[in-house]
Amino acid sequence: MAAPIALRREFFSLSRILTGISHLAPKPCLSHTKYNVTRCHLPLKASTSYFHTATVFKSTPSSITVTEEPDTLFQKVSILVKCHDRAVLDSYEFFATMAADELGITISKVYEPPKAIDRLTLLKSIHIFKKHRVQYEMRTHYRCIELSHLTGCTAQAYLEYVQRNLPEGVAMEMTKTAMEKCPDHILEPMWKDHPIDNKPSQ
Amino acid sequence: MATHTGKVILSLGRINVVGLGVKTTVSSVTYATALSTNRSARNEGRLDGQGKGPFSRKPKRLAKEPRTAEMSVEQDWTAVYPSAKPFRPNAVPLPVRMGYPVKRGVPPEKKGNLELIKIPNFLHLTPAAIKKHCQALKPFCTEWPSALDTDDKCDEHFPIKVTSTDYVSAGPSVRNPSARIVHLKVKLSSLNLDDHAHKKIVKLVGERYCKRTDILTITTNSCPLRKQNYDYAMYLLTVLYHESWKIEAWEAEKTVADMEEYSWEDSPSQKNIIDLLLRLKVAEGGEVEEEQEQLLKSGEVQEYKDSVTRLKNEAASESSTLQYKEAVKKVFNL
Repeated sequence: MAAPIALRREFFSLSRILTGISHLAPKPCLSHTKYNVTRCHLPLKASTSYFHTATVFKSTPSSITVTEEPDTLFQKVSILVKCHDRAVLDSYEFFATMAADELGITISKVYEPPKAIDRLTLLKSIHIFKKHRVQYEMRTHYRCIELSHLTGCTAQAYLEYVQRNLPEGVAMEMTKTAMEKCPDHILEPMWKDHPIDNKPSQ
Repeated sequence: MATHTGKVILSLGRINVVGLGVKTTVSSVTYATALSTNRSARNEGRLDGQGKGPFSRKPKRLAKEPRTAEMSVEQDWTAVYPSAKPFRPNAVPLPVRMGYPVKRGVPPEKKGNLELIKIPNFLHLTPAAIKKHCQALKPFCTEWPSALDTDDKCDEHFPIKVTSTDYVSAGPSVRNPSARIVHLKVKLSSLNLDDHAHKKIVKLVGERYCKRTDILTITTNSCPLRKQNYDYAMYLLTVLYHESWKIEAWEAEKTVADMEEYSWEDSPSQKNIIDLLLRLKVAEGGEVEEEQEQLLKSGEVQEYKDSVTRLKNEAASESSTLQYKEAVKKVFNL
């Protein structure tokens, strides 16, 4: 894969500079950089406590453990991204939809909610001149991608991938709807087995 | 994390330049081993006026051709931009222009263009790169069960829906307090409830039940963690279910005003119509009093009953009033 070669290339160029100016650039920076870059590219580790994992992932893709625990089923996952720049959202939408297609996730809807503009009017001058004001506005553009019929493992892999590649200045909200069976204690009312006398309720 | 990497490189670059420019004493020590051979070779080509004094200018390295000149069309772009990095004009072989143009000019070129560096770029997420990443992620994904392809089947086997929201944004903290909110939605038709239990649970939950869609929504946000809120929501559902099956002593005192729907049996409307029809019969022919049940079972009275219940239960509409009119006409043979 080209990624490890690129990693090594970057590592060596960094090391050449850093050995020269070792006292200026702190050593942990190198390892921290490498660690960050590695995290982007090697297959995901389960040490991220962000998600509740059922399966345990190893660092090499060849050894993937499968547990007996049943996977959660998500009927719908709705991703809303917000940004001040519409072009960035266009690119991000292309990336997210393509990633979903590659992973075999059904995309039910991709749409653009209308933008929200926050305006504020301030005085232009620091002293007097009340009639002269200046107006600022903050535009927030939205994009919503709705995916349906995802399993817990797929959702975890896809969401983590998409979140790690979130560009700077973009915020995301994910609404996940999980489906569950009726729990056993709700199937039958417990009074049938243990009939109670009519007590006055408190 | 990507920006941090970028900052590291920039800061190193800056320090590099600073080292070359002024603080020769500092950098000469560190560069001695690496570049000593280069310096000796280059110094021959310089003027002697630039001696080896404490503040003599270091010879500048000649600028090489940008890397884009050596890039082939078939190169592996994922190796050039493997992760999120700032835009480097010498590494991107595209003739990009960005910025506001001067009068009767064009947007500025990419060399030394801050606008291109400021905006987030997706050069590391080209379709080829996305395909590679997804190939690596594919083993971690599982298939959706093919038997659950429609929403109805999902509702049938998995009636309880738990919704929660996660938030990702830049800021001083990673946490978002709204992430603890859990919504639990369930259709009451999928629970094992009899008539009394259904009515009681609707009364217990009040506004959380939507009659039109038959969905009970329990929203919990009182606990600080999502797991706790989820457990609390399941506990509430369990308690509601079992409590609705209980029949208390005071429930026998339910009056007509407490009823959820209008029922025609034993209502003033029924008494009135039966009374009226009996008196009509008596007035007409003075026959033997027919039994009330026979009157009740007759088709006209049933129609009248349907129209009255419809008027009372639903909002008054034109069709329901027309139906009432027809029913009344039939009862009195008008």
